[in-house]
Parts: sequence; structure tokens; C-alpha cells
Amino acid sequence: MLFGIPITGQTISYFVLALIIMISGVMLMSLNKVMHMAVALGGVFLGVAGIFILLGADFVGMVQILIYAGAITILMVFALMLTQRGDDTASPSANGWRTAGVLVFVVLLCGAFLLVLRGTTWPVSQSAVNPYSQPTVNLIANALFHAYTVPFELVSLLLTVALVGAVVIARKEEE
Amino acid sequence: MYANGFLFVIIFLALGIILPVASLMVLGPLLRPSHPTAAKTSTYESGLEPVGDARARYNVRYYLFALLFVAFDVEIVFLYPWAVEYHALGLYGFGEMILFIVLLFIGLLYAWRKKVLEWK
Repeated sequence: MLFGIPITGQTISYFVLALIIMISGVMLMSLNKVMHMAVALGGVFLGVAGIFILLGADFVGMVQILIYAGAITILMVFALMLTQRGDDTASPSANGWRTAGVLVFVVLLCGAFLLVLRGTTWPVSQSAVNPYSQPTVNLIANALFHAYTVPFELVSLLLTVALVGAVVIARKEEE
Repeated sequence: MYANGFLFVIIFLALGIILPVASLMVLGPLLRPSHPTAAKTSTYESGLEPVGDARARYNVRYYLFALLFVAFDVEIVFLYPWAVEYHALGLYGFGEMILFIVLLFIGLLYAWRKKVLEWK
């Protein structure tokens, strides 16, 4: 026990992941080059994926890695590589008033959070619950391929339409 | 069981971070001789003198490939639970997935016919 928090694999992983998310988030806001910011955003997405997996939502975690850390970040990097390089090194100069304002805001926000967290009663279930009874992937697979076959096939139709639409719009802009 | 499955992910993640860091930042500087000159420390660009910045503007045609990639990335999201439960789903699930992939392949054929994949 440390500060009333039991030290288990779960809590250690949670704090490591929270640290990764916060460091990546601060890097995202403070780095000067847009390309570096895109990579820092990927770090945030990976940390959030870890939190999802820790909470027992392994499928959502994998989707987070595939779609957000994979596709969205790559798409951003692509868009940056395709556009003309602007002057992205200039940052607004930090003057005294700005820094003071930021500090006051951070203190107020932390105080409000603390007030809310302390004032709320968190109901704790009395019966033992095993959060990791079964990987959600298996449940989702059974639901998707047995109960919801038609919606699943319609999704492929939707994806095809999206693909064709992307091609049509991109071709039109080219001409 | 769930947590143990992801223990391997953590082990591989740790190895994946430790091995390159150890070899590039710890072992490498200890083993290699270091006599830097101006020519050695300059950026390597296929043996030519480096020109300009690393961030050149790429051809806009690459964006279509990125869009196609996103569509197929979403397809992977559906392939993943199917692959995990492949044995339990049996032939029915296999047929479903074939239909799914064929429908998406039609989209790829469309892009192919529209000469999106060609390089002019």
C-alpha cells in the first residue's frame, strides 16, 4: 500500500500508461514541428489503447491501435507531407501575463477536480467481480458472425461505397 | 488468463524498446571508434551532397493510396475477431468473410479500373 493505493500489476501498469499519455500530451502541445507533434499524438493514442486493454476492453484497445495509432496518425503525416511546408517553427512568445493566466487556470482546474472527486461517493460492488472473465474479442466475434450476419455484410457494402466515393472525389479534384 | 495473455505483449514491448536502445546508445558507443569529421557527420543522401530540408513536398497522388489504406484498415478491424474465433465459427464464418472480402475487392477493382493505382 502506497498512499492508500494497493501496489499490484494493474495499478503499476495504470500509472505507467498515464505517465506515457501525459508526457506524449505535453510533448504534443510543446513541440515546435508539426511532424513531431503528429508522432507525439501517436504516443497518446497508444497509451489510451493500453488503458482500454487494462480495463478489459481488449478489442477496443486493438481498434484504437489499428485505427487511431495506425490510420489516423499516418493520414495526418501523409497530409503534412503532401502540403506545402509553412513556417511551423514560430510559437507565440510566452509573456508574463500568459504564464500567470495558465498557472491560475491549472490551479483552479485541479481544485475543481479535487472538490468533485472528494465530494462524490463511489459505489463499490459488494460481490466479487472478475473483470477479465473472457476476452471481449471472442464475444464480439460470436455476436458479429452469428447474430448480426446481415449488418456485418452491409458494413462491407458501406466500406466499398466509401472507397468508391473517395476515388470519385479525388479524381474530380484532380481534373 | 486475460492478464497473462497481455503479459507477453508487455515482455515483447520491453524487449523491443530495450534492445535498440541498448545496442545503439550503450553498446555501440563503447565498441565503435569515434573520429568524427565534418563529412562523416553530414546527413547521408545516397552518397550525394545533401540538398535542402528532409521535409520536401510529396506528390499529391500519394493521398489516394492513403485513402485506400484507411478503407482496408477498417476491414482489418473485422478480420481480427474473425481470425481469433476462426475454428469456432467454422465454414459458415469462412463463407461470410469471403463474401465480405469479395465485396471490398469490388471497390479495389473499381479503383484499379479508374487507373487510380497507375502511375503517370
